[in-house]
Amino acid sequence: MFKKILQSLSKSQSAKTKATKPQPAPLAKPAAASQSQAAKAASVSTTPKKPEELCEITPKMAKDQIQAQLKLLYRRYNRSASSLDPKTRAEADRMLDAIVQVREKYFGEI
Amino acid sequence: MAEYVGIDLGTTLSGLAYLKPDGNPEIVPNSDGERLTPSVVFFEGHEDVKLVGSAARDGGEPDRTVFQIKRHMDDPDYLVEIDRKKWSPAEISALILSKLKRDCSKIIGDINEVVITVPANFNELARKSTIAAAEMAGMKVKRLVNEPTAAAVYYAHNQGVQGRILVYDLGGGTLDVTILNVEGDNIRILTSEGARHLGGSNFDEMLLDAYAEQYRQQTGAPLFSDERHRRRVLQTTEDAKKMLSKLQRVNDTVANDKNDGIARIDLTRVGFEKIIRQMLTRTVMLVEQALDSAKLKASEIDHVVLVGGSTRIPKVKVILEKMFGQAPKSCGNVDECVALGAALFAKKSARIQEVCNASYGTVAMVYNARTGEEKLMNSVVIPKNTPIPCSRTQVYQTSEDNERVIEVDITQGEDEDAKFVDIIGRITLEVPPNRPKGCEIAVTFSYDENQRVRALVVDKQSGRSREVAVSYKGAGVLSDEDLKRKSAHLRTMRIE
Repeated sequence: MFKKILQSLSKSQSAKTKATKPQPAPLAKPAAASQSQAAKAASVSTTPKKPEELCEITPKMAKDQIQAQLKLLYRRYNRSASSLDPKTRAEADRMLDAIVQVREKYFGEI
Repeated sequence: MAEYVGIDLGTTLSGLAYLKPDGNPEIVPNSDGERLTPSVVFFEGHEDVKLVGSAARDGGEPDRTVFQIKRHMDDPDYLVEIDRKKWSPAEISALILSKLKRDCSKIIGDINEVVITVPANFNELARKSTIAAAEMAGMKVKRLVNEPTAAAVYYAHNQGVQGRILVYDLGGGTLDVTILNVEGDNIRILTSEGARHLGGSNFDEMLLDAYAEQYRQQTGAPLFSDERHRRRVLQTTEDAKKMLSKLQRVNDTVANDKNDGIARIDLTRVGFEKIIRQMLTRTVMLVEQALDSAKLKASEIDHVVLVGGSTRIPKVKVILEKMFGQAPKSCGNVDECVALGAALFAKKSARIQEVCNASYGTVAMVYNARTGEEKLMNSVVIPKNTPIPCSRTQVYQTSEDNERVIEVDITQGEDEDAKFVDIIGRITLEVPPNRPKGCEIAVTFSYDENQRVRALVVDKQSGRSREVAVSYKGAGVLSDEDLKRKSAHLRTMRIE
C-alpha cells in the first residue's frame, strides 16, 4: 500500500523551491512541513497562542482524542527537547508547558 | 588495579564505585573523605589550581565556578570562558573525572577502564562528549550505560527481586524512566525514556523565584543583583527544599546585599508542591510514555523503584503510589545506586540485554496508494527500544530518471515529521547512468551491543553499496588530534 521514495531533505527542499518560486531558498532545516507552518504563522497573527491552540485541541474533541493528541505531542516535544538544534529545543520547552496546562485543564491536577 | 569500575557523572554529584572481590559493589570516597563529589569546578586564579567538589561549591567565586555542566553536554555551542580561555562541557567534565580517578586510585589502585552512566535521553553529542571527557581524564570507556539501567542492575542485585521493574530516576538535572524484566541472573531492558532539564535543580530555581517574589513584596527591592548573591540564595532554597521533604513548614529569613532589609519567608510543603506541580505532571507523562512504549499497563509492573535525590520529595512517592497502586521502593541510597550499578554492569554486561536508545532512519516521500496522499516523512528503519544487537532493512525507490547520485540522510529520532528529528549524517552513493526512476535502494541499519550504529546503502540493480559508521560528527565534537592535545594539557594541570 505504501511506496517509499528516497529523498534527502536538501533535495526535497530544492524541488519545493523550484515549484513555488520566488520564495527564497530555506536553510538546511527545517523541512517542507515546517516551512508551510512558519509561513502560516507569519501571515495570521503575532498574538501569543493559547495552550489549546498550540496543542491543536478543539472544543469538539472527545476526551480520549485529547488524551491521544497530548501523548503524541508530549512524545514529540520531549524528544525535541534533546535536539541538536537550539531553536527546536526552545520551541520544545514552550510546547511542553502548553501540553501540561492542557492536561491539567481537561484531566485535573496530579 | 581495579577491574570493574563504574562512574556516575551526575549533574550535581558524581560518584565512583568498584566491584569488590566478593562481587558486591562499593563506593570509593574521594580524598576529602566524601562518598560523592559535587560536580562543581572552581578555576582558582592565584595559584592556577582547579578545585573540584565541595571546596569549589562552597568557597569559589561564582563567576569562576562552573555548576551543573552536565546540563550543557548536548549543546554544541556552549562554552565557559575563564581568563580568556574557552572550556567545552567535555573539558569541564574531564576535570571532575580527573579528580575522581586520582583520588579513588589511591584506594583501589589504577583505574584504566570504566563504565560511565548517562541519562537515557542523552543525545549523540552528549554521549560523545562524555566519552571524550573520560579519555581526557586518562580513562578508557568500556561502555556507556543508561543511568536507570545501572540503578536497576543494582536494585536487582541488592534485593534479589524478579519480574518487571519500573525505575523512576529523578536526579538533579534529568528524569529517566526505564522498564526492565529480571529473570534469574538475566536482565532485559524493555524501554528507556528520558526527559531533559527536569530534576532537582529546576525545583531549586522555582523556589528561588518564589523567594525573590516574597522578598520583593515585603521590601520592594530585588533579592539579588549579581550572580554571587543569587548563588547564595539558591543554596538556601536547596536547603529549604530538602527540609520540606521532612517537615511540613519551613521559616527562613533572607536579605539582599544592598541593605534593603530582611524578609521572612514562610514556606509549606503544600506550597512547594504547588510550585513544582507542573514539573511533576511532566514526570507522570514520561512514566505513561514508558508504559506505552513497553505496551504495558501500570498494573503489570511488579516493582516501582526510586532513584535520584529528588525522589525524596514526598509528593513523588504519593503520585507513583496513586499510579501503580503500590508503594514505590527505594533503591538503597538513592544518590549512590547509579554508580554502584555501573560497577556491577561492568562485570555483568553480557547478561543484560539493552535496547536501541534512539530510532534511526532516513527521509522519504511516502505515497499511500489507498488514499493517494504523499508526504515527506522520517522513515524509521530501526525503531527505538529494539533489543540489541539488531539489523533492519527498508527498501526505497529512486525518485528521478537518470539519477546518478543517491543521497541518504541518516535521521535520529522517532517522529514521522522530519522537522522533529536530527539529521546526523548523509551517505552518498554513485549509481550507473540512464536508469529510469523507481530503482530499488536497500537501506540497512545495524546496532551492535556496544551501541555502535552502522548504515549500509545498496543499489539493488547494480549491486553497488556504501557502508558507514553512524555517528554524529557535527559541532561540539573534538577531533582525535584535539582530544590528544587537550588530554596532554589536562595532565599538566593542578586539580584538587
